[in-house]
Amino acid sequence: MTLVKICGLTSLDDAELALAAGADAVGLNFVPGTPRAIDVANGRAISAALAGRAVRIAVFRDAPRDEVERIAREAGVDVVQLHGSESPEYAASLPFPVLKVIPADSRALDTAARYPEADILLDSPSGGGSGSGWNFALALPLVEAGRRVWIAGGLGPENVADAVKLASPYGVDASSALESAPGRKDPARMRAFVAAVRAATPARERPDLRGYFGRFGGRYVPETLVPAVEELAATWEALRRDPAFWNELAEERRAYIGRPTPLYFAARASQELGVRVWLKREDLAHTGAHKINNAVGQALIAKRMGKRRVIAETGAGQHGVAAATACARYGLDCEVFMGEEDTRRQALNVFRMELLGAKVHAVTSGSRTLKDAMNEALRDWATNVRSTYYLIGSVAGPHPYPMLVRDLQAVIGEEARAQILAEEGRLPDVLIACVGGGSNAMGLFAPFHGDTSVRMIGVEAGGEGVGSGRHGASLTVGTPGALHGSYSYVLQDDEGQIFEAHSISAGLDYPGVGPEHSFFKDSGRAEYVPVTDAEALDAFVWLSRMEGIIPAFESAHAIAELRRRAARLERGAIVVLNLSGRGDKDAMEAKRLLGERLAR
Amino acid sequence: MNRIDQALARARSEKRAALIVFVTAGDPDLSTTAELIPELAAAGADVIELGIPHSDPIGEGPTIQVSSQRALARRTSLSQILDLVRRVRTVSDVPLVLMGYLNNVLAYGEERLARDASASGADGLIVADVPFEETAALSRACAEHGVQRVLLVAPTSTPERTVRIAAASRGFVYCVSVTGVTGARRELPADLEQLVARIRRVTTTPVCVGFGVSTPEQAAQVARLADGVIVGSALVSRIDAAPDRDSAVRSARSFVAELSRAVRSARP
Repeated sequence: MTLVKICGLTSLDDAELALAAGADAVGLNFVPGTPRAIDVANGRAISAALAGRAVRIAVFRDAPRDEVERIAREAGVDVVQLHGSESPEYAASLPFPVLKVIPADSRALDTAARYPEADILLDSPSGGGSGSGWNFALALPLVEAGRRVWIAGGLGPENVADAVKLASPYGVDASSALESAPGRKDPARMRAFVAAVRAATPARERPDLRGYFGRFGGRYVPETLVPAVEELAATWEALRRDPAFWNELAEERRAYIGRPTPLYFAARASQELGVRVWLKREDLAHTGAHKINNAVGQALIAKRMGKRRVIAETGAGQHGVAAATACARYGLDCEVFMGEEDTRRQALNVFRMELLGAKVHAVTSGSRTLKDAMNEALRDWATNVRSTYYLIGSVAGPHPYPMLVRDLQAVIGEEARAQILAEEGRLPDVLIACVGGGSNAMGLFAPFHGDTSVRMIGVEAGGEGVGSGRHGASLTVGTPGALHGSYSYVLQDDEGQIFEAHSISAGLDYPGVGPEHSFFKDSGRAEYVPVTDAEALDAFVWLSRMEGIIPAFESAHAIAELRRRAARLERGAIVVLNLSGRGDKDAMEAKRLLGERLAR
Repeated sequence: MNRIDQALARARSEKRAALIVFVTAGDPDLSTTAELIPELAAAGADVIELGIPHSDPIGEGPTIQVSSQRALARRTSLSQILDLVRRVRTVSDVPLVLMGYLNNVLAYGEERLARDASASGADGLIVADVPFEETAALSRACAEHGVQRVLLVAPTSTPERTVRIAAASRGFVYCVSVTGVTGARRELPADLEQLVARIRRVTTTPVCVGFGVSTPEQAAQVARLADGVIVGSALVSRIDAAPDRDSAVRSARSFVAELSRAVRSARP
């Protein structure tokens, strides 16, 4: 998503209007003597009101460095924009992220290179405020060089879509073109501007420049790891625009993973439930679950980054198996952290990982499940960060992982969207997927994000019931907090201590969830419901008998919700359900739990 | 002048490094922690870090992690820790720095924590899983209430980040000696001197080194190159190894006295 910055806000009212129009960032002008200049007190008031809701950028031009630092601190902004002839040393010495304005001319690439740490704002070479626009394709070399580029100068609702398509910038910046009178923002023009930018960019370009989906996400890791996540973010920014990477991945998906996976019409289930049920068969992907999509993608990234050692965490073992598989495929060393409790429940997957050449570390700290495996993986990464690639298995963790894993899993929804259009001639009414960390659900949901007629339902582990305290329903009953590198809904007590989660499915007993799901929950774009262990176990048996497909316990949660939901849907409604994995790994546990029940 | 600045200035004027020690608040219980603080100060600790126990401390090695779990088993809370600081302030003026993880800070409230920490007499705050560019609100609240937000520089920090962190850190710059988590290590990294020098070049704020410093010999080694030496896990394991409270306090006190002698005699 290309970000929208509305600059030159002079009042709290205008700031609220800009946010209501959908702006991601706001500019506060502290250049004395210019038309939209404000004082520190006013800047502070506006900034305080927008905290956590937009990126706040303070604009300066050739001001003394100490004054810039003082004003930026007092006003409480996130980023400092330098509009004059400030030197690279000046920019680097500021204790704030810097957005450096440079003219959009033939020397832009060289000029930007002198400010390696800053984001770049390309402005009309004739100077800002001319309203004339410029050749926006001049931004492309910088964008392709992997720089975060904003464009400004002569942008308005009429021409911004073309500019975005030409330059694919990180952000766009407008001020005077959005005003009804000098210094007064026009709500209708701001809305039209944001809408034009949104329409010109695919929805899944979110999050913002600091890794936030609304208030969720971010990068909450010890300093030791920050350069590593920054390096990964820069690598991914470049790779996701690189056709050669996607071509290589496409071939791996076809030849090795076995994609596209079928979208299967579940005829008997449909008959029984009165809705048209389509199952996206991720259980038929290599290794038996959607996790392989992400593992292959990230292993290719690790290889390109020159990292030979890969670490991963796993709960049910499906991500561990996928990571071990991808590492075997590309000749990388693989070590997997798994809670001791899970190594017992999923002994078969431990053996598969070892067979594939991975080393499995049984984690004995804390609750000995997925959350502790992730803690240990983060500790290992901090220790071996220079040589090691951390292959995170869900849309969780510090930025850029939630975005990176989503981008790699979006292949599920992209295929499903094309398949359902080919089969039914229209979009589905409902999408259903289970949510632990949330990668299979996000993979299905993301490509449908802009299709507002499609309802999205995420199904969480209700365990022994959400009132029992033994469950994994972070979105249903959790509260926002910071865990494993990002801000999202988590299961925690009043003191901020994280609970142990519980589920029949080792893949869903995680006390957190990917930040984009939290964003979807709060914005209402998706709804999230819990399903209990008992309901999931019933659905596990039901689908096995109804369709001859044994689902993973995780996917059985989605099936249970399908059965419950079908009664409330219109007859003949189209449902696409992501069957995220096959049930072989859970067969022994099911045998233990079902016992005599099946002997009839 | 803030107590941390005073303590570090005093050490500097005595031409020696400061000794900073870490204990987990509430391990084994809060009254032991209350007893320890003045004892450790008397034994030569210039600054004391008080760990706020967290269920998922990703920056800690096994020693401090387990000690956090012990404290949590007694349901040690941040409010209780602030009460403890208030009580300790009636008997001791030693600078106290709270050290913990973001989720506990958020649960308490960033603004509220800065205010209450200041009111209780805490001098500084370290949040181990928050890089300097995140939670501007917390930095601002700390600045407003005179709580010094200490930031960490790691061996992996780029030169640009080092400049910015050093500029934004208050009290001292916490130099993480190794890539990795807290915990005793047999040897200090060979490039520690260059790391400290790199930070020194860009700031006049004192630079204190932690992570892995566990013996008086190592403390003396660090004291020769940095403005302060931070010892955590080694002290925590002394406390944990003791059979009862009295011997825990005695053992911690004599260890800190040893460290203090080593630090004070390090520079000729």
